[in-house]
Amino acid sequence: MKRLLAIVFPALIGLAVQAQPDLLVEALRSYQAGDLVKARVLVDEAVQTPAHSQDAEAWLLRGFIHKDLFKGMPGGAKADAVREEALNSLMNSLNLDEAGTYKDNAVQAYDFLARSFFNDAAKALGEQQEDRAVQLFNGYAKATLRRQPGVSLKAREIEFHNALGTAYTKRFNQQRQDTTWFLKATEAYGHVLALEPDNYGANYNLATLHYNRGVYNIRAIKAEDDIPAIQRIQEVSRVHFQRALPFMLKAHELDPQRRETLLGLEGIYYSLQDQSSSERFRRLFELLPPQNDQ
Amino acid sequence: MGEVKSTFQAMVGSNLRWMLLLPLLLCAAAPQQRDPDKDTTAILQANYLYNIAKLVEWKDPAMRNGNFIIGVIGSANVYQELIKLYSTRTIGKQPIEVRKLPRTASVERCHLLFVGRSDLELLPEIYRNLAKGPTLVVTEYEGALDDGAVVNFVRVNNLLKYELSLANAGAHGVVVGLTLRNLAYRVDERP
Repeated sequence: MKRLLAIVFPALIGLAVQAQPDLLVEALRSYQAGDLVKARVLVDEAVQTPAHSQDAEAWLLRGFIHKDLFKGMPGGAKADAVREEALNSLMNSLNLDEAGTYKDNAVQAYDFLARSFFNDAAKALGEQQEDRAVQLFNGYAKATLRRQPGVSLKAREIEFHNALGTAYTKRFNQQRQDTTWFLKATEAYGHVLALEPDNYGANYNLATLHYNRGVYNIRAIKAEDDIPAIQRIQEVSRVHFQRALPFMLKAHELDPQRRETLLGLEGIYYSLQDQSSSERFRRLFELLPPQNDQ
Repeated sequence: MGEVKSTFQAMVGSNLRWMLLLPLLLCAAAPQQRDPDKDTTAILQANYLYNIAKLVEWKDPAMRNGNFIIGVIGSANVYQELIKLYSTRTIGKQPIEVRKLPRTASVERCHLLFVGRSDLELLPEIYRNLAKGPTLVVTEYEGALDDGAVVNFVRVNNLLKYELSLANAGAHGVVVGLTLRNLAYRVDERP
């Protein structure tokens, strides 16, 4: 640790050896000793002083201290605030460091924190905290673009929104009466397809989402439903089956050998009462060798 | 940093696998025997059969007593759906009894007999055997009304509908209610 800090903070280590009283030196000593809370108080005060307010090394130290504090926190609003402070400090350091003395270390720490937003967004999705996941993903995008304006986030956006669509689909499957989740899922997959129309997963999942909703409507038929009622239900389901079809056809076009797509088309055409098309895709499925997907 | 990355990858990796697998469970029907929960046609046909039963009447008083028998040949899913949703119901005062019949043309007397697509080859003989009886035959192929069926499921604009023959109904002593006629896709009124 000491050796590492000597490399990262050469000037400060020099001052520390001379034992000159300085808030920043004290902050570094506390940081070296692992007392992050005290180090934070000292460094916060130090960067307010004229001696260090424009000091890239001071802001770098502040960024490191806040980053390590963030790493030790369980998450939540307080951790978010500390991460924000760390990012701001590291950005200040980068902006002040015209010679680039501290650049590599500042960039490494900054990018770690930016990526942590994305990591936390994935975790939030796993915990069914979709709103927080969206907020964290936006934090990731904002932090990344702040350091690298113009960088493409397309791959990450696709990855995140596909996972978001899946999370909303899971919600919808748990509460099928609430179409809010259905709409959110279609929006998430729609976002992916706007970025990448040939995305297999988004096409397949969007098709399946509509197909399943159509099936669910029909499955919900009750014994009390009379003929006009079942005809209305059919018409509603038909809309979903018809919406599912182009996305499943696109998925099939992207990967004609995928078993689930062939079965999906077989099922959609069957529910659209198109027996010949359904049987055509059934035959294509049966022609596939076993477990061709792997 | 490495730990964060690997945690994330594990999380997203797991999500993506799940993302593709869950819908597959809902979508994939085994080609030979469709999962009854996803067999939308069977669900609709079972409901139609129940409603048809409610909207017709037999002239023969003997048919208005005892259990109301719905026989099914082929289409295991229609049979299952009838059992699941309608077997505890009644038609008038007659309790519904759903029977899965063997694949043979020697059909016992039923009120309604549904013959699914998989067993259409039995129908010519079934029509002959039931020609003078009170059984109302329902099936699903083009030209069925010409052959002797009373009700035939048809596929129109991606919807499952039905057509019916008044002459065939009359031949089996069945009176078709006005509602059933009015809601049909086509009514064959030829004598």
